[in-house]
Amino acid sequence: MTALQHISTNRRWVEGWRSFKMAAWLGWQIESNWADPLLFFIYSVVKPLASTAILVVMYGIITNSNFSDPLFPYIYLGNAFYMYVGAVMGGVSWAVIDDREHYKTLKYLYVAPIRIPAYLLGRGVARFLTGSLSVLITVLAGVLFLKIPINPLQANWPLFLLSLLIGVVMLAMMGLLLGSVTLLLVHHSWGIAEGLAGALYLFSGAIFPLDVLPAWLRPVGFLMPITYWLELLRRSLVGDIAQAFPTLVGFSNLELLAILIGLTLIFGCISVFVFRWCDHQARERGTIDMTSHY
Amino acid sequence: MNSPVPRGQINVLAEPVSNKATGWRLFVKTVIARAYPRIIGQQREKSWMFFDIFLPMMAVSAYVFVYRAIGAPEDYVGFVVMGGAMTAFWLNVLWGMSSQLYWEKENGNLALYIIAPNQLMAILLGMALGGMVATALRAVVIILLGTLLFNVQFVVISFFQLLAVFLLAMVALYGMGMMTSSLFLLLSREAWHISSLAQEPIYLASGFYFPIKSFPYWVAATASIIPLTLGLDAMRQLVFPTGATLGFLSVGIEIGILLVLCVVFLTGARVLLAHMEKLAIREGRLTESRR
Amino acid sequence: MAPFAIETEKLGRIYKIRGNKKERKIRKELVALADVDLQIQQGELFGLLGPNGAGKTTLIKILTTLLAPTSGRALVSGYDVAEAPQLVRPLINMVSGGESSGYGLLTVRENLWMFSQFYGLPSKEANQRIVELLHQVGLADRIHTKSSDLSTGLRQKMNIVRGFLTDPRVLFLDEPTLGLDVSASRDVRKFIRGWLDADKSRTLLLTTHYMVEAEELCDRVAIINQGRVLACDSPEVLKRRLQRDAIFVIETSPLNGLSAPKLEALHEVRKATVTEKEGGALLNLILVEESALAAVINILTQKDIKVMHLTKREPTLEDVFVDLVGRSMAEMEQSE
Repeated sequence: MTALQHISTNRRWVEGWRSFKMAAWLGWQIESNWADPLLFFIYSVVKPLASTAILVVMYGIITNSNFSDPLFPYIYLGNAFYMYVGAVMGGVSWAVIDDREHYKTLKYLYVAPIRIPAYLLGRGVARFLTGSLSVLITVLAGVLFLKIPINPLQANWPLFLLSLLIGVVMLAMMGLLLGSVTLLLVHHSWGIAEGLAGALYLFSGAIFPLDVLPAWLRPVGFLMPITYWLELLRRSLVGDIAQAFPTLVGFSNLELLAILIGLTLIFGCISVFVFRWCDHQARERGTIDMTSHY
Repeated sequence: MNSPVPRGQINVLAEPVSNKATGWRLFVKTVIARAYPRIIGQQREKSWMFFDIFLPMMAVSAYVFVYRAIGAPEDYVGFVVMGGAMTAFWLNVLWGMSSQLYWEKENGNLALYIIAPNQLMAILLGMALGGMVATALRAVVIILLGTLLFNVQFVVISFFQLLAVFLLAMVALYGMGMMTSSLFLLLSREAWHISSLAQEPIYLASGFYFPIKSFPYWVAATASIIPLTLGLDAMRQLVFPTGATLGFLSVGIEIGILLVLCVVFLTGARVLLAHMEKLAIREGRLTESRR
Repeated sequence: MAPFAIETEKLGRIYKIRGNKKERKIRKELVALADVDLQIQQGELFGLLGPNGAGKTTLIKILTTLLAPTSGRALVSGYDVAEAPQLVRPLINMVSGGESSGYGLLTVRENLWMFSQFYGLPSKEANQRIVELLHQVGLADRIHTKSSDLSTGLRQKMNIVRGFLTDPRVLFLDEPTLGLDVSASRDVRKFIRGWLDADKSRTLLLTTHYMVEAEELCDRVAIINQGRVLACDSPEVLKRRLQRDAIFVIETSPLNGLSAPKLEALHEVRKATVTEKEGGALLNLILVEESALAAVINILTQKDIKVMHLTKREPTLEDVFVDLVGRSMAEMEQSE
C-alpha cells in the first residue's frame, strides 16, 4: 500500500467514525425529545407490551393459560428479542426517509465529507437503545408475571452477550440493505422496515418453531440469520427449554455461532454491494433530494 | 419538455369564475380532488403493492402458524385471516388519514387546505377514499390468499347483515379517524409517535386475532368503543360456524351499537375538527414546523 | 358592501416561545405585531415592506385566517377573520415565496386542478383557466411535467398560478418572486398589475423586502419593522418626505476609522450608511441641505480620505426605511 493509499484508508476510517458518532448523537436527539420523559416512558412500555400481549392472549385462550409449557417461553422470548429486528432495521432505513423527506438534509449530508453508510448505521443507534428498553421491559414482565423460567444464576451470560452483539451487527447490516433500497423508493416506504420485520416473523422461528411451516418454506428460515440468533438467545437464557424443540437441536452452540457469524458476514457484504449500487442509481435518477409524499 | 398546449378561449384576467360550487357540491368536489393524488400516486408508483400487500400477508401468516403451533381449532385461523384483512382499514385510518395532516403541515399543504372554503372533513375523507384502492386490495388479497393457502372455510349466514356490519363499521371507523385527526392540527412530531402508539394496543383491545369474548366483560365492553371491535366480532359470527358461540354480543345488538357509534363519531368529528381548528389557529400551530 | 377590502384595528399578535430542554419552563414572549392599523381600499395593490422578522408573514397569516390575533381585530371584505373565517375563505387566496405545496407525483395541471376543486371551480373551466394562466407566466410547456421535476423557480410559478386560478377577491402574495430570476420576476409583476387593472373589485396585498418591487407595483406601501407600521402611504408621498433632504452617494478610499455614527455626529449629516468594500467604502448620506456637502467633503479630506466618485440621487424607499428605522434593511438582516 502506498503512503497515499494508507492516508486515504486512515481518512476513511476517521471520517466513518466521525460520521457514526455524529449520527448516533443526532438520532438520539430526534428519538428522545419529542415528548416529556413520562410520555416517552409510557410509549416505550405500552407499545412492546401490547404487541406481546396479543400473543399471550392468543396462547392463553387456546391452551387455557398453560404458561408452564415449554412452548410459551419459546414464543415469549422469541417475540421479545424480535423487537430488535424492527427497531434496528427501522432505525437505519428510516433515517433515509426522515432526512430526505422531512428534514430535507440528505442532500447536504451527501455533499459533506462524511461516510453515508456509517451515518445511517449511527442513526440506528438511538432506535437500538429504545428497542433495548422495550426488550428489557418485555422480558422482565414475562419473568415477573408469566413465570418465564429465566434464572440469572444459570443463564449463559457470555453466550447471551456475544449473540446479542453479533445479532445487532447483523440487523444493522440488514438495515443498511433496506436503507440502500429506500434511497430509490418513495415516501410510503417509511414502513419498509416494519413491513419486512412483519414478514420475517414468518421465517425466523420467532413465535413458532420452523417445523410448523410447510416443508417447502422451511429452507427460507434456515437461510435467515435471525433464526440462529433467536435460538442462541433462547438457549443462553432458558437453556434446556430452548433445546426441547427439534428444529436446531442438531447444532451445538458453537456451530450456531459460526453460522450466525457467517451469515452476518454474507449479509454485510451484500449490504455493501447493494448500497453502492443503490447509491449510484440514486445519483443517476436524482432521488437524493426528492420529496414524494401523496 | 412537453409540446405547448393551445391557449384556451378564456380571458383569465377579465372573466370571473362562473358558478363556484358550495355546500354539498363543494364537499364532493373536495373529496374527489383530494382522493385524486392518492389514486394517481398509486398508479404511478407501484411499489406499494409489495409493501402493502405481500409483506402484510406474510405477517398475517405468522399468526396463523402460531395458532397451528399451539393446536388451535381451524376457525381461529379464519379469525386471523379476517383480522389481518381488517388491519388494512385500521392502518389506512391511522396512517393514511389521521397522521397525514402532520405531513400536510410539513409540506405547507395544510395551510392551503385551511384557507380554502372547503371542509377539513372532506379533505380527510378524500385522503381515506383515495387510499381505499390499496386498502381494499390488501384486504381482499389477504382474505383470498388466506382462504386458499390455509383452507379457511367461510359459511355466510346472512349476506345483508354482513354488508351492513362492514359498512357501519367503516363509517364509524372513519368518523373516529376524523376525530383523532383533529388532534394532529395541534400536534407536531409527537403526533406520529402517538399514532404509532395506537397501533398494537388497538390490535389487542379490538381482538384482531382472537375473539374479544376472551376478555373480561367490562374490558370487552370498553374496547367496543372502537368500531372494529364489534365490527370484527359481528362479521366472525356471520361467516364462521363457531362464530356465534364465540361472539361477545348478538349480531343485532352489535349492529345497533355500530349505528350509534356512526352518529357519535361523525358528529364528534365535525365538532372536534372545528374546535381544534380554532384552537390551532389561536395557538399558531397550523403553520409551525416543529420537526 | 364593505368600505374596505382589508381593515385592521389595533391588531396585535404575541407568540409564546418554548425554550429548549433546559429552558422548557421558561416561556418567552415575542411581539410579532403591535397596534397595526391599516385600511386597504378595494382595487388597491398594497405593499408591506420590511426586513426579515418584521411581522409581514404574521400579518398575512392573520388576514388569511391561519392565525388568530391576540388583540385588536382584522376584517377582510367586511368579515372578521377570527369570528367568521368561513365567510372570508371563499373570497381569498394566498401564495407564499419558496412554497413546496402540492404533490410531487402529480403534474402541474393535476396539482392546479386539485386546488381549484377545493374552491368549487367547475372542472372544465378550471382546466381552461389553468392553460391560460400557465401561458401568462410562461409555464405552458411544462403543463404535463410532474411537479417534483420542476426547478424551484418553475415550481414557484406554478404556485403563483394556483393563487390566481380561483379568481379571489383579495389575494395575498407573501414574497411571491422569491426564487424567480430577474426576467421571470418582471413577467410576474407585469401579470400582477394586469390582473388587478382588469377588475377594480380585486385587491392584492403583497409583502416583499425588495424595494424595487414595492416601488414599481404598489399603489401604497406600509413600512413595517418589529411588528409596527412606521409609515403608510404611496411610494411617491413617502419619498417626498425626503425630497427636502439631499441624498448623496460617495465612493471613497478606505475610511481610516471613520464610521457611520461618527458621520452622523456631524450636524450636516442626518443619516449615514457605510458599506465597506475592497479598497474603499461607499457612503450613503442624507444631508440636511445640499450645501452641507462641502463641509462633509472637507472633513473627509482632513482625514486623508479620497473621494473617488460622487453622485446625487433621488430618494428611494430604502432611504425612507433608513430614515424611519435608522439602519438599512441589509444592515438589520446582517446584524441578526
